[in-house]
Amino acid sequence: MKKRQNNGAPARALRITLVNFLPFVYAVTCIIPIVWLFITTFKSMAEFSVSTFALPKSFFNFDNYAYVLNQIHLPRAMFNTARITVIVLVLVLLLAFINGYFIARFRFKGRGLLKGLFACTLVIPIHAILVPTYILFSRIGLYNHWYSTILPMVCMELTVSIFLVTNYVQSIPREMEEAAAIDGSSFSSTLFRIILPVVKPVLVTCGIISFFHCWNEFPFSLILFSKEEYYTLSLSLMRFKGEYTTDYPRIMTTIFVSIIPALLVYIAFSKQIINGMMAGAVKG
Amino acid sequence: MKDCIRPSKRTMLFYLLPGIALYLFVFILPALMAIGLSLFKFSSIKNFTFIGLKNYMLLTRDTNVWLALKNNLFLVAVSLVGQIGIAFLLACLMTSRSAGLVNAFRTSIYFPVTLSAVVIGYVWKFVFDYNYGILAEILRALGQADAIQPWLAQSSTVMSFVCIPLIWQYVGFHLVIIMSAMTTIDKGVFEMADIDGANALQRARYITFPLIRGTLITCAMLCVSANMKVFDHIMAMTNGGPGYASNVLALYAYNVSFKQTNMGYGSTISVLILVVTTILFVLTSRLTSLGNGRAAGSLAG
Repeated sequence: MKKRQNNGAPARALRITLVNFLPFVYAVTCIIPIVWLFITTFKSMAEFSVSTFALPKSFFNFDNYAYVLNQIHLPRAMFNTARITVIVLVLVLLLAFINGYFIARFRFKGRGLLKGLFACTLVIPIHAILVPTYILFSRIGLYNHWYSTILPMVCMELTVSIFLVTNYVQSIPREMEEAAAIDGSSFSSTLFRIILPVVKPVLVTCGIISFFHCWNEFPFSLILFSKEEYYTLSLSLMRFKGEYTTDYPRIMTTIFVSIIPALLVYIAFSKQIINGMMAGAVKG
Repeated sequence: MKDCIRPSKRTMLFYLLPGIALYLFVFILPALMAIGLSLFKFSSIKNFTFIGLKNYMLLTRDTNVWLALKNNLFLVAVSLVGQIGIAFLLACLMTSRSAGLVNAFRTSIYFPVTLSAVVIGYVWKFVFDYNYGILAEILRALGQADAIQPWLAQSSTVMSFVCIPLIWQYVGFHLVIIMSAMTTIDKGVFEMADIDGANALQRARYITFPLIRGTLITCAMLCVSANMKVFDHIMAMTNGGPGYASNVLALYAYNVSFKQTNMGYGSTISVLILVVTTILFVLTSRLTSLGNGRAAGSLAG
């Protein structure tokens, strides 16, 4: 203890600088590319080729935005992605809530098997099932519709969500349901009127985590969509890069616009996302 | 009393069946099909013949497969060291007493995790761009213009540059996991070490490291499986090129299945991915022996 007091203020300042320097540098590298992307969206190709780094002449130069938003690809891909995301989220939350609740509350036959079934997405890499999924979906007529990727995506997302809900429900006292049962509430109405509101916080976390995966989804879109009008954002970015490879600011604007929704959600919910991640990853 | 809230068998089935059916149909069935498909030769989706293990024989002779596997293993190795190493170092610094702005740093370091692989791939392609890239610009500013190369277009440099975005993107993911494990360590342990005169390095090596070993093993396994199936990043950056220099197994399986419509052989490559991943899992848990029960537990959720 004495030794530390003798160190004095300069040593402490040095210590603080040393400890914080590396995290600071790494944190900066994590945002610089996006800031660069943002700045470049306001530049013309001529400005960009003079200097890659320089600030744009004007931050009110929306030519690139006007251009990419008037191309059909980007708005259409955003709409497709948003539509799929909403439906997947609803299904994931509903199924995660029900399955998580049953796994947490009841000891029934096959409970372990059920847990194993939901965890299998962790063991089997999705790339192993891409070809069979394509063949299966083509055979039964689920291939190349706007909703083709919904079921596989729900499957991929459920694993973590069910796990989070299970942990959460285990912390709710059983007395809640018992009281409701004594008051004559049926099982289903207890489930949706009493338990659902209590579980809401963890469902919000599940929803946010799943949102990013849906917004960024790529492999299933790649194999299940062949009509351009169904392309989702990632697929559209991958397919249409060729159309303006000579105009860097335009490609960068396309990319930037495509991440705006995810960016906003991240800024709004970063704390919940990180806490949810911690709960999901470590509690096991 | 306990059973007054338990629903009847029929109600339970009603609620649980949709989830079970979904998993069986969308996941288990295709997974079983993958193994079966690898025994067939496809000339189109409706036209295939049983050829037994011929695809597997082809696999052993296909030099592209071994190059792709080598690239995958390279990515696994550099990511294990890079991602978990950097994340562990940052986590040690950010949980120390002198750390400030921890939340701000953590929020921005986690940010890349939320971006799509395609976006990450493109952004870094611009960073490495020969004419206009950030890296080229920095080298020019430093007067090192000679050092500028088309990094992603030369087979000698492509792998060392392709791995940078992969490492960079997921440091935040491991950081968050490792930091939350570190905060569960009893502060008293560190105070005692302080009194005994342990320095920061000794504390990290002899206290933090052993205590969060289980978490580190979990991170290692997640890292192995993520890099064995890496696919979209590479597709966006180089599409496996130049030639096959940066090809990886998942990308090769995709190209064989869908570009060459040889779905049988594509499935064979997928089975190889599954086998190698499993071997690496077993190796990871053997090498780190002890405490592996916990890691397997958290993976299985």
